[in-house]
Amino acid sequence: MLENISATRMEQLRLRRRVELAGRGHRLLSQKRDEISRQLVKIAGELRPLRERVEAELLETTRRFMMARATMEPEDMAAAIDVPTKQFALTVQFASIMSVRVPQLTKDIAGEIMCYGFSTTSGELDVALRALERAFDSLIELAAKEKQAMLLATELQSTRRRVNVLEHVVIPNIQETIRYITDKMSEDERDNTSRLMKIADIIRG
Amino acid sequence: MRTVDEAVIDFHRYPPIGPDDWRYGLATARVRCLEAALLSRATLLDMANAASFAAAAELLSGTEYALSGAVDRFGPVEELLLQRRREVRELFISLMLDDPLVELLRARHDFANMRLAIRRIVTDRPVGSGYSDFGSVSPEEFEEAIQQENYNAFPLYLQEAIEEAVLAYYENRDIRAIDYAIDRYEARYRIRTAHEVGSVFLLSFFRVRIDLTNIRTLLRLKAADRMERGLFLPGGFVEVERFIHGLDLGYEGLAPLFYATPYYETVEGGVAYFTAEKSFLRLERLCEEYLFGFLRTTRSITAGPQPIIAYLMFKETEIRMVRMILTAKMNGMDARLILDRLGE
Repeated sequence: MLENISATRMEQLRLRRRVELAGRGHRLLSQKRDEISRQLVKIAGELRPLRERVEAELLETTRRFMMARATMEPEDMAAAIDVPTKQFALTVQFASIMSVRVPQLTKDIAGEIMCYGFSTTSGELDVALRALERAFDSLIELAAKEKQAMLLATELQSTRRRVNVLEHVVIPNIQETIRYITDKMSEDERDNTSRLMKIADIIRG
Repeated sequence: MRTVDEAVIDFHRYPPIGPDDWRYGLATARVRCLEAALLSRATLLDMANAASFAAAAELLSGTEYALSGAVDRFGPVEELLLQRRREVRELFISLMLDDPLVELLRARHDFANMRLAIRRIVTDRPVGSGYSDFGSVSPEEFEEAIQQENYNAFPLYLQEAIEEAVLAYYENRDIRAIDYAIDRYEARYRIRTAHEVGSVFLLSFFRVRIDLTNIRTLLRLKAADRMERGLFLPGGFVEVERFIHGLDLGYEGLAPLFYATPYYETVEGGVAYFTAEKSFLRLERLCEEYLFGFLRTTRSITAGPQPIIAYLMFKETEIRMVRMILTAKMNGMDARLILDRLGE
């Protein structure tokens, strides 16, 4: 029950308005929680295959790169990849999912990833770099989705906490206080009535 | 009368390797002994099929690549391999009686160092490290010369190569142009030097290498959907026009294009593997096998620089193969992948 409450009709009316508002908030937050959960389940469903694909692509890239590096002279490898010609820029924009600001990543790639001549380099290096280039798209998609999932999960946690607080603490407390005020006012009413009856008896007697 | 460099194939399988040179009697004998210590194909295959990195390293225990103690990272292995490479190059220099041939070896490292130094300098990066220590010019000298545009202190081949590379870069500010220019100049320089020293073997060797580089370039350009026609190196046995024509053909048309050349099997096997696996491993292996087949013909030479050059090539490739297998084993890669590169 709320503390420092004066058991007056004004307070009772105020608390009734409050409990009504809390109920409406609880309903809205419950809907928000359900929608975030739905979105999260949807993203999580997409995340697993996407992560598996990215991991497979990166593994393949690394495997080919290692083969290329192992079959080339160290100086030739250093010369081949030391000065890259590919320029990579990442733009972050924010979209709103149930009032949660989630990032949307857009890549801007310019230049050729094969930044070397052919005489002293291995063809496997081409394959590795092109595989890496292809993996970028999936990697960026994965990064955006994982961040979205993380933000939504955090929001879901706080929304669930708010719903629980409203459902199990705030609303029951206010309702109990309203009941207390009602009881208190009824008690005062009865007390007053009996006092009046006693006064009337004295006057009649 | 045709010139020596004309793109004519007047041999069946491998080009000529020239006559004996009796000044190299002792050096050749020494190399023949060292050849016996080269890792056998069976050892490399056993390493490729070994269950783990430790098992593969164990197979090297009786060789000069023996690793001391348990190795859990690649650093000490790389250090050992670089040490062996340094030794074989020093041996080559000590055995060679003709300075121009030593200069050819040094030039290879000069070109590699120049490639790295120019790329860093024109993009305003520090000259840094990662250079070969077998070149005749230090990276700092490159930096100073390029900044002052004064290359007079360098050997003539470097002066010309730097000028071509820097000019090529500033035409389009394309970093790759540096490599293309150096590759072209290096090929030209090698052929010219082979003429100057009058070495039939070197001439054949460099021309075969140009052809194999062009074959790899052709397939790599096609794989990357690039149609640049000026990237093939002139001076090989196969005319550049044939490679340019190859850019317009589909993959199935590439092998027939080389039917009349000794590279037919190389191209056929390499292209078939590439279309199936999207990998150049077999093409690179077949190119290497062709080159080694050519180098093996030097066994008929009793004395001469040919076996010494061939030994250097064999040894450097052996070091690369050991590095490849140990890298693959340390990273738990599939043995099939190693065998595709190594050959069954």
